[in-house]
Amino acid sequence: MASRTASGRRTWTFYLLTSLFAGFVLFLYGPMIVIYILSFQGETGGLTFPMTGFSSVWFHALIEGGRTGDISGSFQRSIVLAAITTVLTVLICVSAGLGFRRRFPGSGVVFYLAVASLVMPGIFVGLGISLGFQFAELETDWLISGLGAQLTWTLPFGLLVMFAVIGRFDRRFEEAARDLGASAWQRTREITLPILLPGIIGVGLFGFTLSYDEFARTLLTAGAKNTLPLEIWAMTTNVTSPALFAVGTVTTVISFAVIGSALGSIALIQRRRSRNAGTH
Amino acid sequence: MSATLNSGKIEVVAVTKTYSPGAPPAVDNLDLVIDHGSYCCLLGPSGCGKTTILRMIAGHETPTQGDILIGGRNVTNLQPVERGTAMMFQSYALFPHRSVLDNVAFALKMRGASVVERNAKARELLEKVHLEAFANRLPAQLSGGQQQRVALARALITNPRVLLLDEPLSALDEYLRLRMRGELRRVQRELGITFIHVTHTQLEAIAVADTVVVMAHGKIEQAASARDIFLVPRNAYVTRFIGGQNVISGTVERTADGSARAVTSTGARIEVPLKGRSASPGERIFASLRRDRVQVRRNTGGKPAQDSINAVAGEVHAIENQGSYVKVTVDLADGEEFVAHVLDEDFFIDPIDIGAPVIASWTVRDVHLLEDRQPQATGRVAAAA
Repeated sequence: MASRTASGRRTWTFYLLTSLFAGFVLFLYGPMIVIYILSFQGETGGLTFPMTGFSSVWFHALIEGGRTGDISGSFQRSIVLAAITTVLTVLICVSAGLGFRRRFPGSGVVFYLAVASLVMPGIFVGLGISLGFQFAELETDWLISGLGAQLTWTLPFGLLVMFAVIGRFDRRFEEAARDLGASAWQRTREITLPILLPGIIGVGLFGFTLSYDEFARTLLTAGAKNTLPLEIWAMTTNVTSPALFAVGTVTTVISFAVIGSALGSIALIQRRRSRNAGTH
Repeated sequence: MSATLNSGKIEVVAVTKTYSPGAPPAVDNLDLVIDHGSYCCLLGPSGCGKTTILRMIAGHETPTQGDILIGGRNVTNLQPVERGTAMMFQSYALFPHRSVLDNVAFALKMRGASVVERNAKARELLEKVHLEAFANRLPAQLSGGQQQRVALARALITNPRVLLLDEPLSALDEYLRLRMRGELRRVQRELGITFIHVTHTQLEAIAVADTVVVMAHGKIEQAASARDIFLVPRNAYVTRFIGGQNVISGTVERTADGSARAVTSTGARIEVPLKGRSASPGERIFASLRRDRVQVRRNTGGKPAQDSINAVAGEVHAIENQGSYVKVTVDLADGEEFVAHVLDEDFFIDPIDIGAPVIASWTVRDVHLLEDRQPQATGRVAAAA
């Protein structure tokens, strides 16, 4: 290795770069680690160090509700919203991605039009939607205007990922299937979708996490009932107990569970495909 | 079914394929007949239209103009599956998420065959290509040569009358390439169906094919048996592309006794048998000359004597030992590559060095007149061009 001298000792650059990377990791995760630790604050403890003990009392406070606001209600709404957003994002992005493989006049313009919406400031997208609803004399609601606002964010993102996934797909697989007598539907079901599946799961994962975390666009479009990020935001001004940190810990666990199950299912697919490897 | 429906005779009739309006056609008003049960190689550099023809026969491209007939039936507008053809794709396009067995059985599954039925047939084919032990593997777990055999089995499961092979050996290493081309030839003989094999490798085409079709710029330069393509090439393009021969040229001085006397651009005299064809004095004619029939000896006294014929003087430019022969490239100062294949045992009696002046000579029976002609040259510059 380059990081070792001829005598086998590590060079000084190895230590320099390693500490640089360690600093980077701390920079990334440090703030959240503080939150996780403080969420286990003792019963008499406050929002800051020192810890007066170690307890799970703040997690219980969350479930009981009351002085911590509508955490479980907003969590349920966020999960439902994220699930619907995920399904719609996957359906629309996969169809659009498959359709977009055939170049047509103006396809470049369509591509940039779809992707450029990513750079629009989210808070104004939300404002525009809420003004539009007001103008049309409609009530904003997390399941209607909120869903729409989130889709303006997840769809271009999902499309971008899908184009990358499809860009690596070799069309000869489909041609070979056609040569062997597969109809258009059979080709899609038997060849194209299974080969693209890991990428499609990736699109779904993006859709879920982007929606679950979304704040800027949802703020002015969620209507009377809050999603989880909005509820947490409200709590930071009202709640003065470590229950706030407990929310952070729980949402992190859920995010990792979602990502873990997505990666797990990709691994499972790949394992199933090579399940019989080595049997003679 | 009638005999004609089972026939794998291919007729390409006045086919033109243009991909975008205004662009030069990929295939230009091309006619080609391939007999049932023959092994045909489409040979040419990349972009010559050979793969386009293959794909049009398979039904993956539609001709802009013209018709394609298989077994006497016009299939121009039929789906690939209705043509009785099967295609083996370049780098095989084996479905990466399906086992070897499922890959081979795929066509039967699409036709609605039961699991038992299609797996039995697929196993039968895998046995033929000696891969029955690998039925449950994924394609990525096989070597290149094994993948090629899976692709072959997958294509053959529907009993096609024509097998279309797009660069079938290009994904293999040299050793496997040589072995598999013999294998392809054996399978074709055994099945007795038509094989059309696209390649850009001359030796591959000559080695396997009954008929070699040499293409350039969407047109056929020559379609002939592998032996004829080598022995009696039509023009300088085919001669240079197939290799193994030199192209020599000269301006005709006179014709007599069925042969032409010509003078090369460097002043050497050559004799070219006309074999019934004509050449008029003043015209520049071209001929092919087998490299393995050229003698090379040291030049001890300047230019060859004035009256000597079929001998040219030059300087050794490169020497490559090929094992059983030595490839001696001679610089004749006329811009055309001139090579002699000297038998190793002859060469090493008195090895020549690079830069040594030599005389290369041959006998008239190894010279073959080509179709290319250039009108009377009007000076040295034109003659050298």
